[in-house]
Amino acid sequence: MNKKKWIQVLATKNEIGTLLPLVIMCIVVTLVNPNFISFSNLMDIFRTTSFYLIVGAALTFLLVASDLDLSIGAVTALGGVACMFAMKAGVPVVFCIIIGLLAGALVGVFKAWIIVDCELPALIVTLGIQYAVNGIVSITTKGMSVSGATEGFKVLGQGRIFGSIYITIIIALVIAVIFQLILSYTKYGRSLFAVGGNPETARLAGIPVKRRRREVHILVSVFAALAGILMASRFASAQTTAGAGTELTVMAAVIIGGTSMFGGSGSVVGSILGCLLLAVISNGLVLIRVDSFWQNLIFGVILLISVAIDKYRQKLSSAA
Amino acid sequence: MAEYLLEMKNVTKKFPGVLALNSVLLQLKKGEILGVCGENGAGKSTLMKILSGTYPYGTYEGEILYEGKAIQLTDVAVAQKYGIEMIYQEINMVMGSGIAENLYLGNLPGKGKLVDFKKLYAGTKEILERVGIDAKPTDKAAKLNSGQMQMLALMRAYIKEPKILVLDEPTSALTNSEVDQLMSILKELRDKGISCIYISHKMEEIYRICDRVLVLRDGQTINCHITAEVEEETLIEEMVGRKIENLYPKAKVAIGSEVLRVEHLSVPHPTMKGKNIVDDVSFHLNKGEILGIGGLVGAGRSEILGAVFGQLYKGVTKEVSIEGKKTTIKNPSDAIEAGLGFVTEERKLNGFVWMLSIRDNMYLASLKDLPVKGAFVDVKEENRRSQAMFDRLRIKAPSIHTIVNTLSGGNQQKVVLSKWLVKSPRILFVDEPTKGVDVGAKAEIYTLMGELVKSGISIVMVSSDLPELLAISDRVLVVSGGRITGEFNREEMSEEAVMRAAIK
Repeated sequence: MNKKKWIQVLATKNEIGTLLPLVIMCIVVTLVNPNFISFSNLMDIFRTTSFYLIVGAALTFLLVASDLDLSIGAVTALGGVACMFAMKAGVPVVFCIIIGLLAGALVGVFKAWIIVDCELPALIVTLGIQYAVNGIVSITTKGMSVSGATEGFKVLGQGRIFGSIYITIIIALVIAVIFQLILSYTKYGRSLFAVGGNPETARLAGIPVKRRRREVHILVSVFAALAGILMASRFASAQTTAGAGTELTVMAAVIIGGTSMFGGSGSVVGSILGCLLLAVISNGLVLIRVDSFWQNLIFGVILLISVAIDKYRQKLSSAA
Repeated sequence: MAEYLLEMKNVTKKFPGVLALNSVLLQLKKGEILGVCGENGAGKSTLMKILSGTYPYGTYEGEILYEGKAIQLTDVAVAQKYGIEMIYQEINMVMGSGIAENLYLGNLPGKGKLVDFKKLYAGTKEILERVGIDAKPTDKAAKLNSGQMQMLALMRAYIKEPKILVLDEPTSALTNSEVDQLMSILKELRDKGISCIYISHKMEEIYRICDRVLVLRDGQTINCHITAEVEEETLIEEMVGRKIENLYPKAKVAIGSEVLRVEHLSVPHPTMKGKNIVDDVSFHLNKGEILGIGGLVGAGRSEILGAVFGQLYKGVTKEVSIEGKKTTIKNPSDAIEAGLGFVTEERKLNGFVWMLSIRDNMYLASLKDLPVKGAFVDVKEENRRSQAMFDRLRIKAPSIHTIVNTLSGGNQQKVVLSKWLVKSPRILFVDEPTKGVDVGAKAEIYTLMGELVKSGISIVMVSSDLPELLAISDRVLVVSGGRITGEFNREEMSEEAVMRAAIK
């Protein structure tokens, strides 16, 4: 196989393109600092990955349907804060979680309505919602974190099963597996690819395009809220800055995982690898004693490369 | 001085697999209006794109003489330097800008980088008065109606002091009185010594304004007449008079009772307020029938299909009955539910999803009917069924998992057809079913349509390809200006009759 072919294979097999740098990164970091593959360090990485992945799985659906969301960070904070406010008021834990999720859903419904029904651009709308929701969080908490997690609630984010695996990791994995199955093997998943690939074709084929778009927008907000709830559990309190920056990190992770920004293609498995890669980089940089200021630069470069590959992949299939 | 201001000699232009122009000769005298007519696809637009520099020198064979000297039109700017200005069929305005800025677009008066607004507005005012548009130079272009915009486009070309004006179907968006006004301005320009090339398939306009008329057909120059000395019959014959070859297999099917009735269908024009692109059209379709809809591009044919199917919905009024039952169709979902399918004209735009596989495209309209095992799609069974359809249509591709974008036009069209075959509708709309499809696949698509009507499906087919329309249809409706201007059964139909109704 010649060199050009190799590049094409890497570009068309989305997951391999992400797996390769992941493996290289792991090897390099391990060589410099063997502590990297210690059990506790790996657990830390997986735990970080889990928070990304819970949103990333839902975001994969949204990107497949050719949309985007920059309000994830604020909704994450909102989910945690809403949940903890309820807990402080003495509401049973299960209902606190439901309240947190509902807060996310509420934002999701509003967001979907503006973007899908009022036909305003998602980029600006979700940016606006990001500001507004951040504002709501700051106003209601006066900028302070909301504490008062019950012991039972803390189990979600801090507890381990099978001796040493964080429950959060299990939750994230289950979500990811279910999402991947839905995406690849259900009528619903198929319809998302059609909606994102060519909305007009989908509409003429009788697929409810607007409904699908609303659903995935709401889905992302609900799962962003869930991530916030789990973070609140992990830190035993809801931080107003809990989700700050995650919208970009997770979006980057999903795109790095091979889901197209142009809609119509993508996989949750890819998103898992993308989230893992970013988590490994941020952890690895610390272990090999590179100043953490480098992290953003590296994330940025990787994202740019991913987008370039995405475009190149598009070109490959349209040129053929 | 040379006899002709402009000569295009032996112009030949090839596209992959298509000979668009074959040794065409066009000669234009100073101060004349030369009509260019021909069917859709005769090569008129290609010829004009060469003249405007859109297809630059070197991408075609042949030579262009300007005042007897050979010139090289290497791009649009060079063509404009020779005073060649184009006015297109579509409205071409910056809606949010003022009338004055639009009129002097790319040509603003002034010194250096500064605009001389005094001159700009004075010049605009003079021109607005001259063409009788009641508006201020500072008004937004969006305020004008499409006739006024077309007039403005003409004047925009005029103020560049052109030698040759090319107008491509300039009246397709104009009302009758606006057409009159356009004609009188054109005559005025001619008398000032400006030469015009006037592309149209409306015979009436050709006779009204053109000194001579050039007929193109299948990329070849057929004839060039002095308009006053040629019969309309002769022109029509020359435009369409090609041998019908036996490329059109037609299935013999007994026509049954009525399956679809559409009444009082009206669709508002997308850009012109108060005008309908489809105007109170009624028709019916019988079981096992292929109903052809002919007419010129822009006559409103695709809009008829789109409006019945629910693709178009804004301002559409219609009454639809299917097998005698009143049916409400608000969107494509309703239409599919009622047993309709629609193979659109622009398959890339809305026929398939290019990054998905053949299999996934086949099931686009039938997601609900996907075979399942529990909660999940039974992929094995899905593949088996897709493979069967793939084999039946003889789609030429490595496998059912091939991405649709990599297929040829004919095979893409088969995939789009398969999308509806999987759904098995009772009524199928097809819009230009063989557009961009090579000859071999064309015959296969006709055969397939024959199989469909044999199996009890009824078809409405819009086609600009006259031989195809006549060979495949059991009955033909002709649409012109949004109305049905002719209906022919198989005994009555002829290319001349259809053409005559199409230019009514």
